[in-house]
Amino acid sequence: MGVQQPTPDELLNIYYFLKLTRGLEQRVITLYRQGKIVGGVYLGTGEEAIAVGSAVALEPDDVIAPTHRDLGANLLKGITPKEYMAQYLAKQTGLTRGRDGNVHFGDITRGIIGFISPMADLLPVAAGVGLAFKLRHERRVVAAFFGDGASSRGDFHEALNLAAVLKLPVIFICHNNQYAYSTPLSHQMAIEHVADRANAYGMPGIIVDGNDVLAVRDAVSLAAARARTGEGPSLVEGKTMRMRGHAEHDDASYVPPALLEEWRRRDPIDRFVAYLWDQKVLDDASAKAIDDRIAGEIEEAVLFAESSPLPDAKDLLDGVYAS
Amino acid sequence: MEITYLEAIRQALWEEMDRDERVFMLGEDIGVYGGAFKVTKGFLDKFGPERVIDTPLSESGFVGAAIGAAIMGMRPVVEMQFADFIACAFDQIVNMAAKHHYRTGEPVPLVIRAPYGGGIHAGPFHSQCPEAWFFHVAGLKLVAPSTPADAKGLLKAAIRDPNPVIYFEHKYLYRHIKGDVPEGDTIVPIGQAEVKRQGSTVSVITYGAMLQHSLAAAERLMPEGIDLEVVDLRTLQPLDMATIAASVKKTGRAMVVHEAQKTGGIGGEIAARIVEELFHYLDAPIARVAPPHIPIPFSPVLEEAYLPNTETIASKARELASF
Amino acid sequence: MRIQVIMPQMGESIAEGTVVTWLKKVDELVAKDEPLVAISTDKVDVEIPSPASGVLTQIVVQEGVTALVGAVLAYIGEASHAGAVPPDRPVVERQEGVQAAAPTAEAAAPATHWYSPAVLNLAKEHGVDLTQVRGTGTDGRVAKKDLLNFIALRAQMAVTPPRAPLEPLAHAAEEQILPISSMRKAIAEHMIRSKQTAPHVTQIHEVDMTAIDSFRHSHHEALLKQTGITLTFLPFVVKAAADGLRAYPLMNASYTGEGIIVKHAVNIGIAVALEEGLIVPVLREADKKSFLTLAKQLTDLAARAREKRLSLEEVHQGTFTVNNFGAVGTLIGTPIIVQPEAAILGFGKVVKRPVVVDDAITIRSMAYLCLSFDHRLIDGAYASAFLNHVQATLERFDFSIVR
Repeated sequence: MGVQQPTPDELLNIYYFLKLTRGLEQRVITLYRQGKIVGGVYLGTGEEAIAVGSAVALEPDDVIAPTHRDLGANLLKGITPKEYMAQYLAKQTGLTRGRDGNVHFGDITRGIIGFISPMADLLPVAAGVGLAFKLRHERRVVAAFFGDGASSRGDFHEALNLAAVLKLPVIFICHNNQYAYSTPLSHQMAIEHVADRANAYGMPGIIVDGNDVLAVRDAVSLAAARARTGEGPSLVEGKTMRMRGHAEHDDASYVPPALLEEWRRRDPIDRFVAYLWDQKVLDDASAKAIDDRIAGEIEEAVLFAESSPLPDAKDLLDGVYAS
Repeated sequence: MEITYLEAIRQALWEEMDRDERVFMLGEDIGVYGGAFKVTKGFLDKFGPERVIDTPLSESGFVGAAIGAAIMGMRPVVEMQFADFIACAFDQIVNMAAKHHYRTGEPVPLVIRAPYGGGIHAGPFHSQCPEAWFFHVAGLKLVAPSTPADAKGLLKAAIRDPNPVIYFEHKYLYRHIKGDVPEGDTIVPIGQAEVKRQGSTVSVITYGAMLQHSLAAAERLMPEGIDLEVVDLRTLQPLDMATIAASVKKTGRAMVVHEAQKTGGIGGEIAARIVEELFHYLDAPIARVAPPHIPIPFSPVLEEAYLPNTETIASKARELASF
Repeated sequence: MRIQVIMPQMGESIAEGTVVTWLKKVDELVAKDEPLVAISTDKVDVEIPSPASGVLTQIVVQEGVTALVGAVLAYIGEASHAGAVPPDRPVVERQEGVQAAAPTAEAAAPATHWYSPAVLNLAKEHGVDLTQVRGTGTDGRVAKKDLLNFIALRAQMAVTPPRAPLEPLAHAAEEQILPISSMRKAIAEHMIRSKQTAPHVTQIHEVDMTAIDSFRHSHHEALLKQTGITLTFLPFVVKAAADGLRAYPLMNASYTGEGIIVKHAVNIGIAVALEEGLIVPVLREADKKSFLTLAKQLTDLAARAREKRLSLEEVHQGTFTVNNFGAVGTLIGTPIIVQPEAAILGFGKVVKRPVVVDDAITIRSMAYLCLSFDHRLIDGAYASAFLNHVQATLERFDFSIVR
């Protein structure tokens, strides 16, 4: 079964989200260095294709369980730049009203499961989301993102096993960006491909070029179709590179500069732009229009966040329990 | 209607499964086998494999999945085979479930049933009382019924509660106690202690299997002119300080009795709160009767020496009464 | 170092005692717990055991003198101790009808001066000087119940303010002035106080005692032979009252400033007439005793009451009183409530009378149940219900329990 090719509008949509993601994250770096950000900054620079490519392959009522490097997917599900900025500035108008920081947010009404720090914790939770779909006979799927480091944790293995045994509609999507903080792949696992683990649990494991947004889109579309027809889960491993530190307080000097240089030449956005030009979907004017629009939205977001109030401490004790 | 504690739990589960199609059960050996303690015998036939799920051996996996399903609006009831194994799912419970609502405003209507407690010569990994581990984590509700009526009413309340509830069911009490259970759909509200025996000399604050021993101690002490008031907590978190306070104001003497170990057990928290809030009503120091700080031993002679019993409770009450 | 010998409190509402005989002389050795002095109160005569071993160094209160509860009677010093020490506190002389002075009860110095938060709080609330309070807790500390007892005692003693002594009357031949004994005084004080404290209402029900009367006639010989008990009406009445109290707990309560204290124990006092007055021994846990035990104990208590051989426990903590004035011929009475109880049940004389039963005249053994109750906490309807219950129990008595 083939995947439907994207229309020009869909291609431009992908372009918009790739650039919005990159633009927002670059802006956050500046703000961080200006001391305006509270807490750490975790970016997905260089990995935008995995987030965006996966998200565009999903239906509107599918659910995602993102990581800290999946801003593009969050944006596609409806998180606004304003909310994102306010969240980073720990403001009342952020997605968790200051109760949690940076990318630790979620909103089930927009189909996003709230991300938490322990890596791979969300994978069993995503399996549970798939279980709910199955029990209710809904044709929805859940995309669960994780990194190479997370695949060492017990929860990864338990989630894959559970999803496979119960035939749950889950797509496990791996950012294999080759580093977990300072731990390179060679110290993380004794195998070469995370996708090889998929077979061990009884599901297909597909390897794609994680910096080719359309290849990611294709792979995830196929996996989504599988899941929707009740054939169960799949694992898609996007090969990519973490272009910046684990967080902005990490200079990543442990990464060989040659490796970074090699992957800079394979930047996902540059490649996609070149493709769009080649396909004559983009030209100077249309590119500028979108870029200007993005720049405006980012500035607007920053202004919004900066002028938003901080949370009121009198609400500190509220909301521990649901009523 | 007089039924066993186990039967009361069964009835509550059955009635809730019948009443609300969002309720489903997961755990090891609960379907075909009917559960390690046979609590769920017959459920598979009645409700089918979709709603009575026999999971692989992965506590973190299926507790995480239950969380995901709950976030999506289902009402999962997880059975831990023994409360001791809840440690394997500790991360999911304390990091994912407990904090979700505070961070996102989204309810997690999850119930985890944990068969706990000793007195059955089962050794250190099948007899623990782990309430205190979770007492410390904001966002969870903890209940521990001591009678069949409370067991049924509290499980119904737990399943209908929008928060994650850990339901501690005492495995010794399963078949050892019988009691009257009201007909019909009766709920015992979470967060309400109950004075199981009115008295005037000493307030005994307790829960779980220790309730029976405390009542027996009260009978033993009546001829000695010592009239115990026995307060059954029923809910551990949130704690019903109002009922505790009314009792301590009356008697001026308080003791906490629990099967969980004394060091770090919730008796310490209760004692601290009594001193903080009711200092001026105290006519004697606060006492605690609870096992020593050792792994639970296996041989019957050792376990007997380890656990509190009617005489150790009565003895401490005598001390307080004559202070 | 000297240890105080204190006038003990022998029963509630006892405020003082009289030293009858010193069993040891000054400078004589005494062992701990050895009987030291015989005292007499309105309820009992007892010997006080010595609180310590040593030498009786000083007698403060002499024989024949009355002292308040808590007053120092004597001192015990170490064996080598010698020399008298002047008395510290005033003691009450009771010889010419002079009213008692305001309470200056001296407490034993507690072994520890540690007071619990509850005690400190209560003392502050009630304006009590804790050094005045005797402790019965660990190491002699003042426990909350000691303080509560002290407060109650103080309240009782405060009710009757001191009055000026009566002017002696001119002696005419037709009159005789009798001295007022301590028992008479105590009765007078109590009766006034009871009437002043509780608004009394007396309600009267008629009860048909025919079944019980006939049972008595047919069984009394066999029972006497078997158990030595002479079966009177009293145990039936006490049993019915005990059952009634369980069903109507307000009858077994006390009205206090802190609220209506409903007591769990049913301790029924039985009014016993004495030559010089009356006394009320208490049958404890009357509701829990078998009929025969009740009957036996009633007889025994009455007998020992007349001989003034009751123990402290037996005049203590009554929760309800029964007055069998019918035994001496009274038909109807309006008894006075024994404080701090809520009610008292008088049982009148059982008399054969013509009555109407099923529209025909028949001869039945009838008696009157006269219940005086404290209208602060009990209303007429409740009292009637209680009386109906007692009446029903008596009229339909379950004789199977008399075995």
